[in-house]
Amino acid sequence: MKRSLLRLIAASSVVIAMVAGHASSRPRYGGTVRVLLHDRVNSLDPLSDEEHTVARDRIAGLIFETLTQMDSLGQPHPRLAASWKADPAKRSWQFNLRLAQFHDGSSVTAQDVVASWAKINTGWKVSALDKQTVSVETPAPVYHLPEMLALPKFAVVRRNPDNTIVGTGPYKINDWHPGERVTLVANEDYWGGRSFPDSIEVHLAFSMREQLLDRQLGFYTAAEVGVDQARPLEQNNQNVAYSRPSDLLVILFLQPDSGAGRPGRKPVDPRIREALSHSVNRAAISNFILQKKAVPANGLLPQWLTGYEFLFPGAMDLERAKELRAEAASLVIVPPITLAYDFADPVSKLVAERIAVDAREAGVVVQPYGESHITALPARGGANADAVLLRIPLQSLEPSVALSATLDDLALNDGQLLPLNAPRPEDLFEIERKTLHNFRVVPIAHLSQALWLSNSAHNWQQQPNGTWLLDQLWVEGAR
Amino acid sequence: MRPESLHFKPMFKALQPGCCCVVMALLLGITGGRAFAQQEAQSPMLPAAFDFVQHILSAAGTPGTMSVSFQNISIFPPDLQEIVQNAIFTSIRNSGVQLVQPEAAISQVEITFSENWQEYVWVARVQQGTTSKLVMKKVPRPEHAAASRTPMMTVRKAFVWRQDSPMLDFFQDEKSLVILEPAQIAIYSNENGNWRPRYTLSITHDGAWPRDPRGRILMNGSQITAFLPGTRCNGSTSPPSLDCRASDDPWQVDTGAMSAFFSPRRNFFTGILAGQNAGGSVLPFFSAATWQAGDTRQWLFTGTDGRARLYQYDLSSPAALFNTWGSNLAAVHSGCGGGWQLLVSAPTDSVRPDSIQAMEIAGREALPVSSPLELSGAVHALWTSGKNSELAHGIMQSPATGRYEAFTLTVNCGQ
Repeated sequence: MKRSLLRLIAASSVVIAMVAGHASSRPRYGGTVRVLLHDRVNSLDPLSDEEHTVARDRIAGLIFETLTQMDSLGQPHPRLAASWKADPAKRSWQFNLRLAQFHDGSSVTAQDVVASWAKINTGWKVSALDKQTVSVETPAPVYHLPEMLALPKFAVVRRNPDNTIVGTGPYKINDWHPGERVTLVANEDYWGGRSFPDSIEVHLAFSMREQLLDRQLGFYTAAEVGVDQARPLEQNNQNVAYSRPSDLLVILFLQPDSGAGRPGRKPVDPRIREALSHSVNRAAISNFILQKKAVPANGLLPQWLTGYEFLFPGAMDLERAKELRAEAASLVIVPPITLAYDFADPVSKLVAERIAVDAREAGVVVQPYGESHITALPARGGANADAVLLRIPLQSLEPSVALSATLDDLALNDGQLLPLNAPRPEDLFEIERKTLHNFRVVPIAHLSQALWLSNSAHNWQQQPNGTWLLDQLWVEGAR
Repeated sequence: MRPESLHFKPMFKALQPGCCCVVMALLLGITGGRAFAQQEAQSPMLPAAFDFVQHILSAAGTPGTMSVSFQNISIFPPDLQEIVQNAIFTSIRNSGVQLVQPEAAISQVEITFSENWQEYVWVARVQQGTTSKLVMKKVPRPEHAAASRTPMMTVRKAFVWRQDSPMLDFFQDEKSLVILEPAQIAIYSNENGNWRPRYTLSITHDGAWPRDPRGRILMNGSQITAFLPGTRCNGSTSPPSLDCRASDDPWQVDTGAMSAFFSPRRNFFTGILAGQNAGGSVLPFFSAATWQAGDTRQWLFTGTDGRARLYQYDLSSPAALFNTWGSNLAAVHSGCGGGWQLLVSAPTDSVRPDSIQAMEIAGREALPVSSPLELSGAVHALWTSGKNSELAHGIMQSPATGRYEAFTLTVNCGQ
């Protein structure tokens, strides 16, 4: 535990990951940034049902803007909103928009914000007080609404009848081939000033192995890499930047105990779920399979973000697991647990197989298999598995917003657990405790994101949770 | 074993081996009130400790007896931990609660000094019979000042002003502080050594500023001249007025010897010079300096290609190239050594803390004459200033806080 903490502390000294190249400190204009993303993206709309929302949001964040943005210290700053205010009860908020334009030249109005958020199910009353003022009224106090509105899903998007979408951000869409690549060009009229690079090319669904074999990496500026691919790059003196251990690897049992889930399927016995949790050797998964680029997860949010995750017990307890399994087997037939993992994520496969090995020690049979569509919520509903192994990104540096988003991703934000209305860390802890107490959700590890960066990239900033901040990015070879 | 009823004891045990120092510090040998008064001066954390205790007592219902144990799973320094522990004990005692062994206590309190990425998180589990409550308190970590190393000459930094919003340049004399921001010029007056805001003058301009916006402000008595990309402002502090217009007038680069044209939509000078060097041109540059060394006029430009170029006698071709400098420099006339020094930023990216080092040009070589002055932020502006170019004005932004700081730099002879 202490070693894990010390590693965390050591990692915590690097809040911003970037690469220093040649001598220069002031950014230069021009050039093309070429980025390789591991996952496939089929729609750039921040509200689309994508399998891989992190990749989608990374691209969409360059095209679309939210009212607010989070800095590397977790503080909200103005973006499309120039300012905001709230009543003392934190239930009535007003956001004043700056003078900004969509990429088609039309002005951004409060009505555009209202229309853009119409499909988001928040329970808030959102209205346009005037052309530049957006009002948000919430049924209960929301203490961190500006932080919440920095989430990608609250980006202001103009959705045209011809299914095209238009943003206000620093880059415009120039060429878009869904699932393959997108080329963005600098928005010369951006309210925050024209970006330093002339363009950004994003190549999707790439295989790092193929790029390494083809020795093509030098052509690119940055590439997402798996933790299993990072070490060879580092040994070859390449620059690899890591986020803090942020992504949550978690087992979610699909059928709730209430029986309200998919008809015809029974929930896995709670004692078996608990036995599985006790059987997992999280330290071995973090240290060996995830090559020390992860820490064991006992809660939903990482210790480095909350400071309270240590309160959740999570040590392996094989004897207790065997007891629980025997107790369940004496009362009911214990069928094997089918555990689906993301077919496209080799790390998830390794972790799922290790979970199966650990569970067998406790007498619990887990059958892992890869599926193509388990991360997007609508597709997950149709999965045949008893449980899924999910990789959930840490979407915010504000714990209440992060917990709310995580519960959304787990489809557990049912109105009973309301992190946004929780003013104190004790309240967030209690919400996590209630979420975890019946072992329908079993945290496994908090995993770092890894990014290869070329020497030509300057000011490539990465927030502690892995979110990219590219507003100061520039590349060598520019004018 | 899940925290259904907050059973923390097993986990505290689990944390012990090789991990955290669990201190069952019970009343024996705990410092008294006088010692505590000394501690109070040492640590700004003591008010937090008192507040923490009040929340604990509130959760416990102020019992007659209490036991307290500690563990530290953070980077909380041991000496500070001891001070805080003693403060907690004192505060509990001062509240009329008797501290006793756990078996004799009505309430058992287990305090963990934890942390998140930004601050300490103190967590108390208050156990009373079968009920258990949690109390958490976030406590800011103390800041550590950046240190500078021993120099031959010494670059001295003097703090001028700090604010959340961006600053581009500033002017300062005994009576007033004038700060150039992207959207306004803010004027402050000196009242008993403190800068008090007087008024602001709005800067109007067409379109958006470039990223990495830059600007230069010059004062002549009450007359203001401000240069921003594609814009020039003229005005006065008395009576307050400011008139900004689109303009491609050259900017004054130093205190009078050099002026140059600035790209209206970028962050660099185009390389076309004006004033005394009118007609001359060099490659586009970020910053420049010129000075007289004996009978030789010298120029230095930090090019947008990452190279600094030294010109001697004329601007026909560079006499030397320096590849390891940052893009900010300013010439300062200190009278030390050769008389002039160049203050040069480090080749770090503009979102990292920077450093400034004094250099002298000897022939075609650049010799460091000071140790680098480590700064807590990235340098955004560095301009030669003062009546005799005896200092430089700088602006930096802290990556830790995001705040902007205006400062002056001088070069002192010797250490």
